[in-house]
Amino acid sequence: MTSELFGADLNPWVDAIVRLLMWVGFMTVVAMGLIYLERKVLARFMARIGPQKTGPMGLLQSVADALKLIGKEDLRPRNADPWTFELGPYLVFIPIFMSFLAIPLVFDWHIRLFELGLLYFVAISSINLVGWVMAGWGSDNRYAMLGALRAVAQGISYELPLVLSLVAVAIFNQTLNLEEMILFQGQTPNILWQPLAFMIFFVAALAEMNRPPFDIPVGESEVVGGPFVEYSGIRWSMFFLGEYTALFIMALLASVVFLGGWAWPLGEELGRWWQVILMTVKTSAFIFLVFWVRASMPRLRIDQLMAFSWKVLLPLTFAQVLVNGLVLAYEWDYWVSRVALGVAGLAGIVLLYAIIDRSVRRPRPRPAPVAQSEAVTA
Amino acid sequence: MKGLAKSLMTTLSVFARKPVTRDYPNYHKPIPERDRAFPLLLWDFEIDEPFCTGCHACERACPVECMTVLMKDNPNHRSQGGDSSRRKIIDKFWIDYARCMRCNICVEVCNFDAIAMNNTWQGHELSVHDRSDLVMDLPQLLAQSKTGNLKEWVAD
Repeated sequence: MTSELFGADLNPWVDAIVRLLMWVGFMTVVAMGLIYLERKVLARFMARIGPQKTGPMGLLQSVADALKLIGKEDLRPRNADPWTFELGPYLVFIPIFMSFLAIPLVFDWHIRLFELGLLYFVAISSINLVGWVMAGWGSDNRYAMLGALRAVAQGISYELPLVLSLVAVAIFNQTLNLEEMILFQGQTPNILWQPLAFMIFFVAALAEMNRPPFDIPVGESEVVGGPFVEYSGIRWSMFFLGEYTALFIMALLASVVFLGGWAWPLGEELGRWWQVILMTVKTSAFIFLVFWVRASMPRLRIDQLMAFSWKVLLPLTFAQVLVNGLVLAYEWDYWVSRVALGVAGLAGIVLLYAIIDRSVRRPRPRPAPVAQSEAVTA
Repeated sequence: MKGLAKSLMTTLSVFARKPVTRDYPNYHKPIPERDRAFPLLLWDFEIDEPFCTGCHACERACPVECMTVLMKDNPNHRSQGGDSSRRKIIDKFWIDYARCMRCNICVEVCNFDAIAMNNTWQGHELSVHDRSDLVMDLPQLLAQSKTGNLKEWVAD
């Protein structure tokens, strides 16, 4: 039994190892590129230049950082639990890498196309929370523990709106197969008919990836780096690799599920390179949006964060799922059902706006003023 | 919510702007004409000697006592067969740039317009590894004036 890779017949095991190495190498390059881009884009948002000294326009800055991290000593605190501490980083980044398996990049070009691709994605991408807990618990450090608890609380809370917004889209498209979803969006992308779902997906994805403004698990000013306080060198870089890979994969998923993947708007019969360009443009737009939000928003407080997920996002996603089911149950014709869904989604966004606006403007109880005369005489 | 949109637009408008950062060590932005760095001594090109006569006026006036001045008889004086009208001339001069506070008093008290505040980038770029390297002696103080490249305002 042999399998084919670039025209060469290989032993399946060798083939698997070669593919794995290619894949890890590619993702490392993507993560380094994203770190460089983030620094450059964020710098422009702050009217700075960003890295510029290492290589032409600072292009080699990420390479230099990676080499430094590899060369650094891999320290383990004496009180740390050896197994959980050392295995934590792997559990953070392996599920993220595995979640890439299901994503169709270009027509008929993917690692594995699952019939239940979306389910596989949401199932595998929530495993990395275990890694966070292991890292936090194994470090035997209060800040790390606190960060891990925050990461898990936030991860589980935002998992629900994330999954349910995807469920809403899956109901609408009547499939969990990601490639069929792309084909379903032939004329109009899902974002048009499911704007509320996309908004909720975006917010929940930010929280899932621990990106600002939802980066409280790793907030430097509160928990000095969170679960990876005690990590250094290659293990620390694994967390970083996981974070940026997750960003890349979330962007891929968003462009597949909401923006029409490789098909919309140029159709399905296009050449492969056009499809690659379309995917790149959509993914980059999503990533730019994430960077943009990072540059604009301050970090949330943890109770605000949890309240926003449970009290605002979750009911709205439930409403979206119900509305989708209702509209599809009546089996109106193509455009009527779509317009109904779009109007319902826009109404949901208006509702979201009203809820946030009301909570922001709500008068807050102020602490009773200290009696002036008393303070003066004392 | 309105605030969120506002903050997004603010950052986007900054994104569209040109970065304010300058590539500093490679690019020096032109400094103002009346910029004031550390004091230096001026060179009298007509007679080819320093203007300074070593009169100690600046040393006495200096509020932070960063100067040390030594005077000598001018070997180039007319009585010695030279062409200078200065009977006395500077022998040794030290200014501790680490101590100087750029108050300009030495320039104001000088009777011979022999000292001036540097208004070039050379007066600012003074990073050294040892602070004793910031104590300038006479040749160092005169070097920039001797090249003749100082701007008008300094030489006045």
